[in-house]
Amino acid sequence: MNCFKSLLLGLWCMTLQGAEPIQLTDDGRMKFTPVFVDGDLSLSYVDFENPKVFRLKSIDWKTREVRVIHEAAPAPEFDPAYSADGNYFSFLRATGGLQVSLVIRHRKSKEEVVIAPESGFSGYRTPAIAPDSSEMLFSFANNFGQDIFRVDMKGGGRTALTGAKGINVWPSYSPDGTKVLFTSTRDGNYELYEMKPDGSDIKRLTDSPYQDIRGQYSPDGKRIAFVSHRDGNAEIYLCNADGTNVRRITNHEERDDYPTWHPDGKHLVCVAEREGSHDLYLLTLGD
Amino acid sequence: MLNIGSFKTKTCSGIGRRSFLQMSGAIPFGLGMSGLGMATEDEVDHAIAKAKSVVFVFLWGAPSHLDTCDPKPDANSEFRGPFGVIPTKTPGVHFTELLPRLAQRSDKYTLIRSHIQSAPGHPDGGTVALSGFEENPKPVKPNFGSIIARQRGFRGKLPPFFSIANGVVMDGGRRIEAYGGGEMGAVYDPFMVGASETGEVNIPALALMDDVHPLRITDRRQLLQQLDSVPRTLEKSKFRDWNRTYQQAYGLITDPTARQAFDLTRESGKTRQRYGQSVFGQSALLARRLVEAEVPYIQLNYSRHVEAITPGFEFGWDTHLYNFSLLQDQHCPVFDRAFSAFLDDIYDRGLIDDTLIVCMGEFGRTPRINVRAARDHWPQCYFSMWAGAGLQTGRVIGESDKNGEHPITRPITPLMVGTTIAELAGVDSQARAEMRVLDGGRVIDELF
Repeated sequence: MNCFKSLLLGLWCMTLQGAEPIQLTDDGRMKFTPVFVDGDLSLSYVDFENPKVFRLKSIDWKTREVRVIHEAAPAPEFDPAYSADGNYFSFLRATGGLQVSLVIRHRKSKEEVVIAPESGFSGYRTPAIAPDSSEMLFSFANNFGQDIFRVDMKGGGRTALTGAKGINVWPSYSPDGTKVLFTSTRDGNYELYEMKPDGSDIKRLTDSPYQDIRGQYSPDGKRIAFVSHRDGNAEIYLCNADGTNVRRITNHEERDDYPTWHPDGKHLVCVAEREGSHDLYLLTLGD
Repeated sequence: MLNIGSFKTKTCSGIGRRSFLQMSGAIPFGLGMSGLGMATEDEVDHAIAKAKSVVFVFLWGAPSHLDTCDPKPDANSEFRGPFGVIPTKTPGVHFTELLPRLAQRSDKYTLIRSHIQSAPGHPDGGTVALSGFEENPKPVKPNFGSIIARQRGFRGKLPPFFSIANGVVMDGGRRIEAYGGGEMGAVYDPFMVGASETGEVNIPALALMDDVHPLRITDRRQLLQQLDSVPRTLEKSKFRDWNRTYQQAYGLITDPTARQAFDLTRESGKTRQRYGQSVFGQSALLARRLVEAEVPYIQLNYSRHVEAITPGFEFGWDTHLYNFSLLQDQHCPVFDRAFSAFLDDIYDRGLIDDTLIVCMGEFGRTPRINVRAARDHWPQCYFSMWAGAGLQTGRVIGESDKNGEHPITRPITPLMVGTTIAELAGVDSQARAEMRVLDGGRVIDELF
């Protein structure tokens, strides 16, 4: 590693106040939405494998070996989500010209439900599954806004939760399933909000003139990791679950994005852009 | 598809690797060999050009102007969009937060916010954007690059008009009709070249036999004989074009100077990193090398296709769905980084005075957010960026209304864009009249 790289990593470490970040991939391609699966048995993510395809991939956490989740996938697949109890896997699949379906798969039986988009340009985003697999959420655009909807695991009982005010996206359940964190532009720009799983009691958690997005609860539910552009570019921040005590944990002129919690609550995995390349990194959090 | 060879290049890691190139049915620009109907350097009386090279950065698919370079923070929520605004280096001018690097470089270019055009769809809009005229009535008018190439003629070893993309630029299965020479003929079509996100250059019209290395080609007839062994299934006219392709390819593969222009491994790792690991980033770096090789016209395409998240197509700017997330997650970070690096490089290497850079899409996107919380086509108002060739920079020309729906200053049309490019590239009004191109066009006076 050259001196310049060492210096940059060093600066990054000082901000994190923890051990040196560990680089998990080295292909440098754009990546999105890493998520741990079955505790920390593996890490799934989206690889922008070539200019035409998003591909779902998985890293074995022990061996760090990477495999393609759907070898024969004919179309872009992205936004993976898993239930904490291990029963369900959900993701998005492009099925036509700006047509994106939502796939809900039972991991043991392999039984699949596919929720097709509506006609024309239509599709789903950012699925999230309740920790006990009782229901799931996704974002869907219609009626001049993008709402978070709830469905059962067969895709039925669709209910809009966020009132079609602005863009509502990236829902994320608290570990105990009693709250949902999400991102919304209902007050003008992207901020973090929480609500109950039935859409009631919506509360705003952040307030910045720039994007606050992609919030996720820590495994103990006490903190939130999110991405903010408040200091000029995409950085990762932590705050308390009520939105207080916001503190920045990355500090680099290039992007740090898509934080996801390791089950131990002491580490995050993120997508970091370094020297123009995008890779997954494991960050150790200080006290 | 005729696979006829490869030659070694280095990957960015420095490890030798065979770079396999495949031939398509593309019909590139002739090299000016006798009998091909193209003027050679000796024959053309070159007009004096302010711009030795033109780089037309084509944001194919049409980026949203409100979410990039012409934000309307005071508009109501039906129009405004969710992004914050940041100051640029130009007093009083703001961009959205999605383009921080370009915002800090606004002193390096002039921004126009008052474009309009007539065609609402991609193939037809693309034709107007690249030629100044609609597809109909036929015949199709030539691409601006074809006009420059015809006037400037054959210069050195490289074709005078390049189009950088992994194939002919198209919407769905339909190519832009004004992608090349149009009524002037296929001889003025661009030479196509593409780049991968790791800097491997793909020349669709160029290929070699598997067992032939370019350094070992000494006998043109030998190569012809080898190619003769391939069954000729092409019809006569296509074979004539293929023959022109072969001649051009022969010139490129056997000349070290020409091949060097395509070899991105000659760049330092630091330079390649500045452009970013993306197809557009490395393509922009290739464009810079072609400028240094004094290629008169380079069309640098953001992607081959307009479609976003569509099976089988590259991700373009056509964000009818997920407009905001695609811009924030993908397009704007890539564009901001790569185009900023390109501008910096052209300036730092002292090339800016002799290079004209124009960056734009074929139109804008609907200011009023649609039912899918995204934006559709909007030819009534959009933006461009201009740099180099002695133009003033750090300014904004034109203004759109409070919702970004229409210009409130003199509208700038694609014909004016093409005429201005031609004028700066040495195709003056007399030359244009003699060639019968860009009829009725006027230059964008405000740029001078």
